[in-house]
Amino acid sequence: MAHSKVPERTSGDTKVYSYLAEYPTPQALIEACKAVRDAGYKKWDAYSPFPVHGIDPAMGIRPTILPWIVLGAGLTGMLLGLVMQIGLNAFDYPWIISGKPLWSVPAFVPVAFETTILLSALTTFGGCLVLNNLPDLYHPLFKKKRFAKATDDKFFISIESDDKLFDEQKTKSLLERTHPTALETVEDDRKVNSALPRPIVYGLLIATFLSFVPMARIAQARYTKTTDPRFNLVSNMDYQEKYKSQRGTSFFADKRTMRPPIPGTVAQDTLALDDRYSRGVEPGTNDKFISDFPPQFSVNAGAMQRGRERFEIYCAPCHGLAGYGDGMVARRAEELAEGTWVAPTSLHEPRLANEPLGYFYNVISNGVRNMPGYASQVTEEDRWLIVLYLRALQRSQAGSVDDVPADQRGALR
Amino acid sequence: MNGPTLVELPKDNYSFGAAGKRLTTIGAVVGVLALSGAAAMGAAADDHLGRFLHAYLLAFYYVLTVALGCLFFVGIQYLFRAGWSVTVRRLAELGAGTLPALAILALPIIVATAMGNHTLYTWTDHEVVKQSHLLEHKAPYLNLNFFLVRCVAYFGIWALLSWFFLSRSTKQDASGDPKLTRSMEIVSGPATILFALTLTFASIDLIMSLAPTWFSTMIGVYFFAGAATSSLSFLILFAMALQKSGRMVNVLNTEHYHDLGKLLFGFTFFWSYVCFSQFMLIWYANIPEETEFYLHRFQGPWLAFSWFLLLGHWAFPMAGLLSRHVKRNRKALAFFAVWLLVMHYVDIAWYVLPTVGGHDAHGIPFGPMEVLCWVGMIGVFLAVVGFLGSRRSLVPLKDPRVTEALQFENI
Repeated sequence: MAHSKVPERTSGDTKVYSYLAEYPTPQALIEACKAVRDAGYKKWDAYSPFPVHGIDPAMGIRPTILPWIVLGAGLTGMLLGLVMQIGLNAFDYPWIISGKPLWSVPAFVPVAFETTILLSALTTFGGCLVLNNLPDLYHPLFKKKRFAKATDDKFFISIESDDKLFDEQKTKSLLERTHPTALETVEDDRKVNSALPRPIVYGLLIATFLSFVPMARIAQARYTKTTDPRFNLVSNMDYQEKYKSQRGTSFFADKRTMRPPIPGTVAQDTLALDDRYSRGVEPGTNDKFISDFPPQFSVNAGAMQRGRERFEIYCAPCHGLAGYGDGMVARRAEELAEGTWVAPTSLHEPRLANEPLGYFYNVISNGVRNMPGYASQVTEEDRWLIVLYLRALQRSQAGSVDDVPADQRGALR
Repeated sequence: MNGPTLVELPKDNYSFGAAGKRLTTIGAVVGVLALSGAAAMGAAADDHLGRFLHAYLLAFYYVLTVALGCLFFVGIQYLFRAGWSVTVRRLAELGAGTLPALAILALPIIVATAMGNHTLYTWTDHEVVKQSHLLEHKAPYLNLNFFLVRCVAYFGIWALLSWFFLSRSTKQDASGDPKLTRSMEIVSGPATILFALTLTFASIDLIMSLAPTWFSTMIGVYFFAGAATSSLSFLILFAMALQKSGRMVNVLNTEHYHDLGKLLFGFTFFWSYVCFSQFMLIWYANIPEETEFYLHRFQGPWLAFSWFLLLGHWAFPMAGLLSRHVKRNRKALAFFAVWLLVMHYVDIAWYVLPTVGGHDAHGIPFGPMEVLCWVGMIGVFLAVVGFLGSRRSLVPLKDPRVTEALQFENI
């Protein structure tokens, strides 16, 4: 094997970092690695432009510990994710979301899953760097021109002089026996080159120190008081040229930005000219409820259908679909048994059967006892439709066979 | 790849031979006996075949998903131009090759439904549909005629695709023509899309419509995950059994099992991911027509069953398969392959069995009839695999990438 001449160890102050042997093929590299491994060296490495199959056993590399570290990090992430959510949602700020319990593990799974992945991924990334001694700003091998071929088409082994078995003659002859195409001595010039330049070191120190300043200022602001006005970065955003509610102004005589409505104005849909239709009472009275539907209200099947829909949307949650006061809200409240609940009235109480229609209209509009008024949600016409359906519902529960048309009585079960 | 490579495969036994024929005979006998036994029990019971059809559907869908998973496996190997898997690919081709036979095995379900048996698919009953606005609304899709058309389409597409891959690959054993590989690579893309669509809609039709008012947009991908885990388990066990009998000893090694194990681990977790995604959205929204499905499975003995499914299909195999050492250890890998094949049955049972006899029935309807159906269906499946396997080499002999598979190594 005609390799270039092996340089003698350079005399004087330069120390040998390693011997570098070059090989033409991955097969030659693997054979050489086996020889070095079997000789018992520990501090050495192989370099190749691409991953070589079988290099790990040939070099005697033990499996990495990284998977265990990542497993630990993943479990930690999962635990942190769960503890964080339980702590925040169940203790720090108890808040029922979507009717789920405060401790609701299924709802916590997605975030715990993400924190598991996050910590695993970051640990894999960081662990790869740390376990491979990276970042490494300088390596003596980079001084060798020949070594640039390690990213191209040549394969190398470098045995470092730090190894306990390293011996100038023995190591050299070991490598020579592996038939390298070249064998070189790598000088250790790290003392000169490996330290960071002074200005960069000082720069990093100063930057590190300065990075604490904003945090310190924030901490100071949280625990001290000041009489200085607020600092406005963009003043025309902080002080916009427009009137906001509850503010003062010199423009109007009463010094208020909020303007009262002009006397005599009526908001849309609130004009109540007809007491019968809009309030359910005889004109001019307050508690003399009308007992018939107002004249402009017509009763038909379509009206009944819509009345039923409105009833089931607005009334049934408490009063129940059949009106017995057993809606979902009522049942849930009974179950919780908190003692503050007033059960909704059954619409089939005898007392209610005799109330005039206007009474129901009034209750729907303005509420009674614990029941709130629905005037803001349900239009006047819809309120009358609900009254219509309610009357039919009462009738249906107190009906007799005579109420059924004669020709349909046979269909009764 | 410049022309056909002339790699000599190592000297080995690549023929299923007499063992394949024996598997065909035993599988067919066991299959026919067990299935007819179950059918006799079903006919004896006075429930319009309700329980038998459910048990049959459960067992049928079980082997169907295994075969479909094999088809998917073959398809993506060509799609990715994978080299490592060439020596195990023929086994998947054989598994997928059962799809034409499975189309015949689907007939009892389809014919019974077409003849007016509503015990399985209640939406085929006009009286039931009339009672429900939801079902009336779904009728343009969920009606008998369209259902039959779709079934023909699914099984036709699957049979064509599986036969396409198996016959071309077999043809290459003789000619070694790399153009065959190229043609399969071109088809594999559309084939995988077709696979995804057909599996999704078949899951909707065959399984989801058992509870016709329930719906889940995850159902297709759910059964895709199950098909992947079960078919990978089948491949691992099939390859191990063949190697144990002295076949393909030199072309499959720990590296291949390691990769199959990695896929198995990945798809086990993917199953859990999909399973939970389906559950959480429904649990959170709490809409009656969706929660109904889980309500039935969280009551009585089904609650324990659901927990068993969750822990057995997710926690245990995932923790077990996590380690590289387990995936490279044949006995451990074989254990988890068997375990996941059982859990796949549990998974489908969790969908199918709660609807037996309506939701009022108590207890888990699992007995001799279900076991007979399961055993019989597996018997028929293996018989077809043995039949197809004994007529061709167990390894693609002249695939252009076979060298890559032989030299394959995990770094």
